Amino acid sequence: MVNPALLLAIPLGFAFTVPLIKYVSRKLMALTPVLVLLFNLIASALLIPQAIKEPIVTNIGGFSVPFCINLVAGPTGTILAALISLVGLLVAVYSFGYVKDGPVAKYYTLYLLILTGATGIVLTGDIFNLFVFFEILCISSYSLVAYLGEKSGVEASIKYLIQGSVGSSFLLLGIGLLYGQFGTLNMADLANQIQATSSAATFVPMILMITGLGVEAAIFPLNAWLPDAHSSAPSSISAILSGIAIGIGLYAVARIVFTVFGATPIFQLLAVIGMVTVLVGELSAFSQDNIKRLLAYSSIGQMGLIAFGLGIATLEGVTGGLFQLISHALSKALLFLAVGYMIYRVGSMKIDKLKGLAKRMPFASLAFAVGAFSLVGLPPFVGFPGKFLIIRAALAKEELFFLVLVAFVLTATVIEGAYFFRIIQVLYFSGEKTKTTREIAPVSALIPMGLLIILIIIVGVYPGLITNFLDSAAFELLNRANYVSVVMGLS
Amino acid sequence: MNFLSSYIYYIGAFGLIFIGLFIILVKHNLIKIIIGLNLLDTGVNLFLISVGYLHQGTAPIFGKGSQVTPASMVDPVPQALVLTAIVIGASILALALSLGIRLYDHYGTLDLTEVRGQKW
Repeated sequence: MVNPALLLAIPLGFAFTVPLIKYVSRKLMALTPVLVLLFNLIASALLIPQAIKEPIVTNIGGFSVPFCINLVAGPTGTILAALISLVGLLVAVYSFGYVKDGPVAKYYTLYLLILTGATGIVLTGDIFNLFVFFEILCISSYSLVAYLGEKSGVEASIKYLIQGSVGSSFLLLGIGLLYGQFGTLNMADLANQIQATSSAATFVPMILMITGLGVEAAIFPLNAWLPDAHSSAPSSISAILSGIAIGIGLYAVARIVFTVFGATPIFQLLAVIGMVTVLVGELSAFSQDNIKRLLAYSSIGQMGLIAFGLGIATLEGVTGGLFQLISHALSKALLFLAVGYMIYRVGSMKIDKLKGLAKRMPFASLAFAVGAFSLVGLPPFVGFPGKFLIIRAALAKEELFFLVLVAFVLTATVIEGAYFFRIIQVLYFSGEKTKTTREIAPVSALIPMGLLIILIIIVGVYPGLITNFLDSAAFELLNRANYVSVVMGLS
Repeated sequence: MNFLSSYIYYIGAFGLIFIGLFIILVKHNLIKIIIGLNLLDTGVNLFLISVGYLHQGTAPIFGKGSQVTPASMVDPVPQALVLTAIVIGASILALALSLGIRLYDHYGTLDLTEVRGQKW
């Protein structure tokens, strides 16, 4: 059995040895993240069955629970860690051929740091440690957005930095208030003590923490930075930011709301915010003429859908939300990789310039079509079961309130379908009927896109492959008494 | 007067936080906004320190024999937290300033209302 701490230690250690490996061989340097993330993927996948039986609690430093910093590798944590390393691995393979300009060694250092931060957020059991990993994730994303150092990237990065660091300060203020009130930073210990107090006493720190984490999670009023940052970053980084980073931010919100505070009335607010986010995201995406901005706005919409699923707060709803998180990570990574390759060859992000590209780049266009169909929620792709689970869970609540919200969410899905089909129409059915030479995609682009297409179809046809795991993950998120007793060793 | 002396640190911390937020929201110059971010950060750090502060308290290593009682110790945890938070704040500051230099190279101004390469 692998110690969960290694999932953090190995990428963190290799992140800073990458610049040294550059002096040995440039090929080896580009290969390092692939090997590191392969290790992480295998290790976290091996941990999943054990974590489902009982969460693995690692107390660092050998102190007992309320005094130590601990890692809690529960079902949610290990599944998300596996997802992070899977997407990270495929994007690292893609970077092999994609990232050639600029300071490449720094790219790989920051790339590994983003993924370390994300893995840390899902595995930690301590709120200050959560803040530290959150900052690792944020600071490396600020720098990677400005990686090429061109006009739009620097501007987007500054916007992202200002909003992100105000958010982080709010998060830290919330943590400080909680520490002043309860004298502990451990999530389980906090949850245990908060159970005994009135909800009014913890309202201010909760709102501060949700606001702080919400900036990264891109929930509605806090997402002004996202379209610029995701569209200006190099496409491989957009895939990580869109697929992983914002989803992990939303996971952190869910962990804080469900496990630490257990605040039931806030769930309905989360569902409403989710619905508004879906509508705003999809409506803004509809009017874009820049393909990467369109995908960025569509990410906002998808985050809203996940927040809506989590806000239903039943076992089915949370399962649906987590399923949608996984489906969004796979589909959006595929879309950004395909679009990145198209932009690389065409040299423009305007949708008009992509006319008839399916003849020139059949594989990238196919990948785009699969990703788009999956996001819209057509069977047999992975987006269909995700949306189906969320809608079914909302209808099972049998409340007028949720019925109205579902109506809005479905409307937004129709809008989403409209703009994705428009692009597919541009790709396949417009442009001159001249004979163009087909371009063979490089192997480093073929492998990750091919694997993502296969995964999207397999999980879409057999959603049961992962829903069993997600059921226990949802149970872990919702059942805080169980979490407390496992982590504190009371059982 | 008694109220002021017992809560002076909290008043100072939240004063700094609000001044920082005000600067970030109102000013247009990037350097001023970065100063605002730093004030906000400092305010949060001061707040964290004052959570664990004890007037005339001491650290465990300075106690001699029987003088070591838990009630006379300053809580060390917030100090460790602030040490981490200061490091993070300093790195964000450095990154923001270096991005500011790049922004000036591209646009010839630090006024964010004139930087309109993308939709705000």
